[in-house]
Amino acid sequence: MKKKLVAVLMTAAMAVSLAACGNAGTTDNTTDNTTGTTDTQTTSEETPAVPAEEVSENAPSGEVVGDTTVKVWVADAVVDFTKEQITAFQADHPEFAGFDFLVEAVGEGDAAGNMITDVTAGADIYGFAQDQLARLVAAGALEEVAPENIDALSTQNDSGAVAAAKVGNTFYAYPMTSDNGYFLYYDKSVISDPSTLEGIVADCEAAGKSIYMDLTGWYQTAFFFGTGCTMTYDSDDSGNFTAANVDYDSDKGLVALKEMIELASSSAFQPGSSAGDAVNYAAIIDGTWDAATVKAFLGDNYACAKLPTFTGSDGNTYQMSGFGGFKLLGVKPQTDADKLAVCDALALYLTSEDVQLARYNAVGWGPSNLNAQNSDAVKSDEALSALGQQLAFTIPQGQYPGDYWTRAEALAGDVQASFQTASDDDLKAALATFQADLESYAK
Amino acid sequence: MAKQSSMKRNRAIGNFFSYVVLVLISLIWLFPFVGVLLNSFRSYDPAVEYGGMVDYLIPKHFSLDNYKFILSGQTNYLKWYGNTVLIAICVAVLQTIIILCVSYALSRMRFKGRTFLMRFWLILGMFPGFLTMICLYFLLKQIGLTQAGAIPGLILVSVASSGMGYYVCKGYFDTIPKALDEAARIDGASRARVFLTMIIPMSKPIIIYTALVAFMAPWCDYIFASYIAFGHDSSYNVAVALYRWMNTGDYQGYFTRFCAGGVLVAIPVTVLFMLLQRYYVEGVTGGAVKG
Amino acid sequence: MAKEQSRKAKKNPIGEFFKDLGADIADIGTTFAKGGFRTRVSYLIMGFGQIFRGQVLRGFMYLFVEAAIICYLIFFGWDYLKKFTTLGTVETGKVGRVTVYGDNSFLILLFGILTIMAIVALIFMWRLNIRDNKKQDELLRAGKKLPGNKADWLSLFDSNFDKTLLALPVVGIFVFTVLPIVFMICVAFTNYDATHQAPSKLFTWVGFENFKNLFSFASTGFGGTFVQVLIWTIVWAFFATFIDYFLGIAVAMLINRKGVKFKKVWRTILVMTIAVPQFVSLLYVSKLFDSNGLINGTLLRLGWIKTAIPFWTNPILAKVMIIVINIWIGIPYLMLIATGLLMNIPEDLYESARIDGASPWQMFKSITLPYMFFVTGPFLLTQFTGNLNNFNVIYLLTGGAPKSGSMVGGAGKTDLLVTWLYKMTINDTNYKMAAVIGIMVFIVTAVISLVVYQMLPSVRDEEGFQ
Repeated sequence: MKKKLVAVLMTAAMAVSLAACGNAGTTDNTTDNTTGTTDTQTTSEETPAVPAEEVSENAPSGEVVGDTTVKVWVADAVVDFTKEQITAFQADHPEFAGFDFLVEAVGEGDAAGNMITDVTAGADIYGFAQDQLARLVAAGALEEVAPENIDALSTQNDSGAVAAAKVGNTFYAYPMTSDNGYFLYYDKSVISDPSTLEGIVADCEAAGKSIYMDLTGWYQTAFFFGTGCTMTYDSDDSGNFTAANVDYDSDKGLVALKEMIELASSSAFQPGSSAGDAVNYAAIIDGTWDAATVKAFLGDNYACAKLPTFTGSDGNTYQMSGFGGFKLLGVKPQTDADKLAVCDALALYLTSEDVQLARYNAVGWGPSNLNAQNSDAVKSDEALSALGQQLAFTIPQGQYPGDYWTRAEALAGDVQASFQTASDDDLKAALATFQADLESYAK
Repeated sequence: MAKQSSMKRNRAIGNFFSYVVLVLISLIWLFPFVGVLLNSFRSYDPAVEYGGMVDYLIPKHFSLDNYKFILSGQTNYLKWYGNTVLIAICVAVLQTIIILCVSYALSRMRFKGRTFLMRFWLILGMFPGFLTMICLYFLLKQIGLTQAGAIPGLILVSVASSGMGYYVCKGYFDTIPKALDEAARIDGASRARVFLTMIIPMSKPIIIYTALVAFMAPWCDYIFASYIAFGHDSSYNVAVALYRWMNTGDYQGYFTRFCAGGVLVAIPVTVLFMLLQRYYVEGVTGGAVKG
Repeated sequence: MAKEQSRKAKKNPIGEFFKDLGADIADIGTTFAKGGFRTRVSYLIMGFGQIFRGQVLRGFMYLFVEAAIICYLIFFGWDYLKKFTTLGTVETGKVGRVTVYGDNSFLILLFGILTIMAIVALIFMWRLNIRDNKKQDELLRAGKKLPGNKADWLSLFDSNFDKTLLALPVVGIFVFTVLPIVFMICVAFTNYDATHQAPSKLFTWVGFENFKNLFSFASTGFGGTFVQVLIWTIVWAFFATFIDYFLGIAVAMLINRKGVKFKKVWRTILVMTIAVPQFVSLLYVSKLFDSNGLINGTLLRLGWIKTAIPFWTNPILAKVMIIVINIWIGIPYLMLIATGLLMNIPEDLYESARIDGASPWQMFKSITLPYMFFVTGPFLLTQFTGNLNNFNVIYLLTGGAPKSGSMVGGAGKTDLLVTWLYKMTINDTNYKMAAVIGIMVFIVTAVISLVVYQMLPSVRDEEGFQ
């Protein structure tokens, strides 16, 4: 009984001591912990808790003050690869011995989202797809490329990748891959001629197989740019969009839209672009990142080709176009000059010719470095060569406001639903609103 | 006599149709679970069977590849699982304590501001929670409970606001006759004594119900938990990690592994739920009647 | 103060409030005038009077609270509070290539609110402290003895047990629920969005600008979309609540039928949906009905249909599907509840109805249903408001799709207000509009609850039950 009483008293004492803080006690904890605690320190405090993930265990030396952990976010597939490369980087650069490196698996989409939510807690170096660049710059999540690296980056990478890493005239990121485009994977046994869209659709319908194509913002440009439409945005150096150059509200635009509607009306059509979710298909418009998945599904009938041509409602034949996209590596703004130097050097290293080639060999990501692109291994890759052929017809992807992707997804929704029965006049009106909306995103 | 036999026949026909309907319902209800279970036994290895989405139900080859993959340590699955168990247990215990305290105070004691408090909490509950996520994130970050500290952070947030969920428990306390309290108090027992030695032992069903509900919630939390973990892989819970397998482009062809992971998540929760179902029913019914 | 006022809120809440406030201020004045020097010093140093009247424990508690809050204000809160009106003016800049962060509008807003809450708490404690002093003064003047420290302490487990029990939960709710909600309401009056992200950019107060945008029906205004989403939200909540309700009762009655065996088995099967996490089961169901999913695939293979049924791409069909699949989730709860309640209906009611020759349907209509409605009225209301904010079902099944160019802000045809709000927060970081939508969700929920609650037949004085 006595023991019980003591226990009760103890709990009560705890409760009361907390109660003593009363309504105000809420703030006490924060007072103690936050005065003088900067965000950078918070991150450094966290690192010791996860030694398992650290690439190296170099004890931080006294020379470097401030935060000495460089956090890297890359896609799960390349985490191990990146760790190895960083070990090599450390061997090459003994002067950075005071820094620890931490690699975490954060996919490109999540990385951009997280960086925008809280820059200070985000990674110091992170991979992302170029369509996020403007958003990241606007949110202050990207540091400009070090001036001494600009020349080398501009000459060693393909021109599309260089353009993709810039906002206005400012170089914001390190080109990592030039494979972020799409082309056609198909089943040799089903599709006799992959050069026309009509032929592919007919073969698929006859065989009861599906053709997958996404009609959202990134993919629908295959039609619009194919018929000769343009859509670009001008931006200033800090990532604000100043003007939109769109001519979707035209006869060319109508041809493209009607072709999309026709494709979507086929019983073989399925919306989608991720091979892992696709079922029973004979053709899929997808990128190199899904090559392994498609290969596993199609087996010996696996084949790749550039995007097909289509015959528009006006009787002309058009080659499907689209975006040529790139993956970039970004460095976030730093408050410490030493750490910035490390980040610059590491980002440069991770996007160098050798590492790009090694990355291709390890996980099959197509390099943006010109020398690496010309290596034999890369040239003989089936998927990458199909992408290379398609590249001649694509437009290097510039910067687009986030609203564009949202709005274009809405158009894709309409194409599969209400547009199926719409008249030409309705479609023209829809294109006019679409263009007006796209133009409204540039101020 | 004839009438009785016709009634009997009617009843038999009625029963027959009842069974038909019930079997149909059961099939519909079980179908998704069977689907997930069957998919979890389809290999992801292209040499055995294609591992992405397929449009047939029964795998051509049964294999344990997915389970081996999950448990092999190639991913942090075990760590995520452990995190979730830890969160679930802590939340279940602490949340139950808090709810019991609040319910007793509101049910048995009449103090200034009591109705105000109850109305105020009711109104608070009408605000949608998502917007507060970013705010909670920065609050937790300020005390170092994000990323590596996300697990205690998640526990703190779930426990801190749990006082508002007192309805069912208070409703139960309200049904315990006050005369019992009064009698004990006349005998000189303090409120605390009454609470600890009388009310709590009498409230086993509601304690189990409260703890069960609290225990189940963390297994499904994929939005706030991912926000707080902020890309720090080893502080994910299973829901966040599995949801990522389905929704992030980096994880193509993880569908069957997702199913296997889902099955492993469902097992403890389902077993616990089935064991304690009686208490759950009691709690839910009581809650519904009291409102 | 505010608490007292709410009790009498029935007549004229605002008038009553000011009356109380006036009385309160007058009381503070008279206490000071009448009180001894201990009481008077307590106006500045909280707890002083109590300590020197021998109530050390109580006194130190007041003193501690005062010290803690004042420390907080000086060392932390004030820095944020003084910038609260502008939300910061120092822009983030560069020194060479190194970034120097300026004011962080987000933290200024967040900790500014926290500081204001701390000040309110201090005033509240101060008032309690004065009242306490007054009480002690009066007791002493009446020649009574003050309770000792021990008695004071023990009262926390007896007459003041409520304070012990509620202290922690109340504090927790204030920091982790009230503070974020106040913060969110404030965001609705700022320009915090993708182009004004702390810490790199500042954001500031913009008044009712965002609300104007919500009710603007021009092509890029949110008005049209908001109305569409709101209507679907209400329609969804209505169907989701009532269809589940009736079907749940029906299933419960079916299982309860005399002569049906294995009652427990049937119930257990249904209850599985509660136990298995929704992100597993619903994601699977969503894939099941995809245009390339198992259902369409099987039907196509059997030749029953020529083209896939657009379960998720046709807006009408998608809405119907969501409501139908929600039945799958909703019935088990209702079945459990109804089972318990149906047994409570006195059997002789049915017996006498049967003697009068009532058909089963008539019995259901005039006995079962009225009883169920009466007993579960408040529950139905909470179900309804819960469904207004039912995130999981929509998000996991369709994610709001199909989208349409006729809607702005990334909304889709099946988006509820909450899922739309979520997308704005996560995908577009459009916090300002998300905050406005959040306030709208609150208003819709609150108005519906209030109106329906008044109409419920079973609303009785809460005390009556006990």
